[in-house]
Amino acid sequence: MKNKEKTTINWADTFKTAIILFLIAAIAALLLAFTNYITSPVIAKQTEQTNTAARQAVLSDAETFEPVEDLDAIAQKALGEDASIVEEAYVGLKGGQVVGYAIKTTPSGYGGDIELLTGIASDGTTTGIAILSQEETPGLGARSTETAFQEQYKGLNASEEISVVKNQEASGNQIVAITGATITSKAVTRGVNVANKVFQALQAEGE
Amino acid sequence: MGKNLSILKNGLIDENPTFRQLLGMCPTLAVTTSAVNGLGMGLTTTIVLMCSNIAIAGLRKVIPDKVRIPAFIVIIASFVTIMGMLLEAYLPTLNQSLGIYIPLIVVNCIILGRAEAFAASNSVIPSMFDGLGMGLGFTMSLTILGMVREILGAGSIFGLSLFGASFEPVLLMILPPGAFLTLGLGIGVINKMTARNALKNANKED
Amino acid sequence: MDGVVNILLILVSGIFVQNFIFSRFLGICPFLGVSKQIETAVGMGVAVTFVMVLASAITYVVQYVVLVPLNLEYLQTIAFILVIAALVQLVEMVIKKTSPTLYQALGVYLPLITTNCAVLGVALLNMQNNYNFVETLFNGLAGALGFTLAIVLFAGVRERLELSDIPESLKGSPIALISAGLMAIAFLGFSGML
Repeated sequence: MKNKEKTTINWADTFKTAIILFLIAAIAALLLAFTNYITSPVIAKQTEQTNTAARQAVLSDAETFEPVEDLDAIAQKALGEDASIVEEAYVGLKGGQVVGYAIKTTPSGYGGDIELLTGIASDGTTTGIAILSQEETPGLGARSTETAFQEQYKGLNASEEISVVKNQEASGNQIVAITGATITSKAVTRGVNVANKVFQALQAEGE
Repeated sequence: MGKNLSILKNGLIDENPTFRQLLGMCPTLAVTTSAVNGLGMGLTTTIVLMCSNIAIAGLRKVIPDKVRIPAFIVIIASFVTIMGMLLEAYLPTLNQSLGIYIPLIVVNCIILGRAEAFAASNSVIPSMFDGLGMGLGFTMSLTILGMVREILGAGSIFGLSLFGASFEPVLLMILPPGAFLTLGLGIGVINKMTARNALKNANKED
Repeated sequence: MDGVVNILLILVSGIFVQNFIFSRFLGICPFLGVSKQIETAVGMGVAVTFVMVLASAITYVVQYVVLVPLNLEYLQTIAFILVIAALVQLVEMVIKKTSPTLYQALGVYLPLITTNCAVLGVALLNMQNNYNFVETLFNGLAGALGFTLAIVLFAGVRERLELSDIPESLKGSPIALISAGLMAIAFLGFSGML
């Protein structure tokens, strides 16, 4: 017969332990809530500033930007599956006239999603692209943030699909991939292509 | 004061968390792709380390032994979250570069390690110095590793291009293998220097 | 069909292309600490796999049932690490009862799974990549399998290194790290796969 030792629970001790843990957790939660209260408006404002600056950079002709309503519905109708990477679209206005659009897409790159902003003028020419965030490999895919790579997209037309070539001269609606970063290059290209399709859909809707 | 200074030196050199204790390896290898990232991560970790050491040393007589690990974790995680929020609000570029490794500071063995090994049984001021010493030691190691990898792998230092456009950097250095190789060779070099010093001292005493 | 392709991509990515050790640097401390013998490495790998998959599942639930609806996303780090700490305690108790030999072999490394960046790391990555529940589970599994693969391969290398002639200053961690670096170069080759 095993002789089991009777373990008596010391309620006073357990209670004290629980209270202390609870207090520590409560103080921690309060500190965090307080910090969150202070920092989240700062973060929100900053994100807005970065976004506006980025829109301005890709569509320099515009003076003000207004979000496109019903983007989801329009994207779903016109793009089907690709609509899943369409984030937002802004109409660029100058003196009340539409000069183009700034469209944000999030294609899937090598290390995660790439936040891409494409500026498209009313005549369908790409006025510029900007990469807002990416997690690609430093020295390879991360070079997609360099001007030399991004310049390639300027001047291409939204009516034709852009394709990627490796190790050769690009002609027409082609861009040259970054050596060793084909996946990233193709992802960015897909993002721009989808943005172009959104542009066409928006124009068709008369936005 | 002398005691506190020796605590400081301990963390910086004698028991350097990176080159001697081999703690905090994950961020060491991951964020040292550039000197500024190494420096930023090091300083952020130092602040968290100091705050958590101070808090834990202050509360060490109050926290029951059985639940000390969960209690330490809550305290450390809170400071990490606060630092994360502050970085996101006031240093967004650094926040983006360090990415997922900021919340991962919670599991940086250095912080929990020092909490257990020092702050849990020492008073607040020495614990603060221990945190500062270890943190600065960590920062120094990260910055050095970051500089080496950046110079060889990108031809720049703190973003300033060193060799001009015709320099073909050793891309491998800022890719994952470069991290392992740099750290391994770094420890090897330090071992060699320490051995040489010990030999010199031994010969002196003869 | 699309879902299955996604899962396969996640598996290939986590195990080979973006191997948690050789590419993402998650789980390095146990990688360097427990890899001296193949047997211990396998045991650690199994324990970590168990914890990582469960942790992925539970943190997913915590995120979408508690944190998001209550607008408490900023408590993510704290909530996740507490879940993991509790989970590791549980696993420790289970292993102690079911396999005392494994418990002895893993020793102090078992509670250290809590501070294994791979576990918290995979939970955070799951959220960052917006995976659904199934994808989350498989990402946890993929990361764990990648970790296990890395640690077992490495243990094999280290067992051989024990018998080799190595310069004094490189003995121990330096040569281990350099070997890991060489293995990382090999794994870089996988990046063409996707």
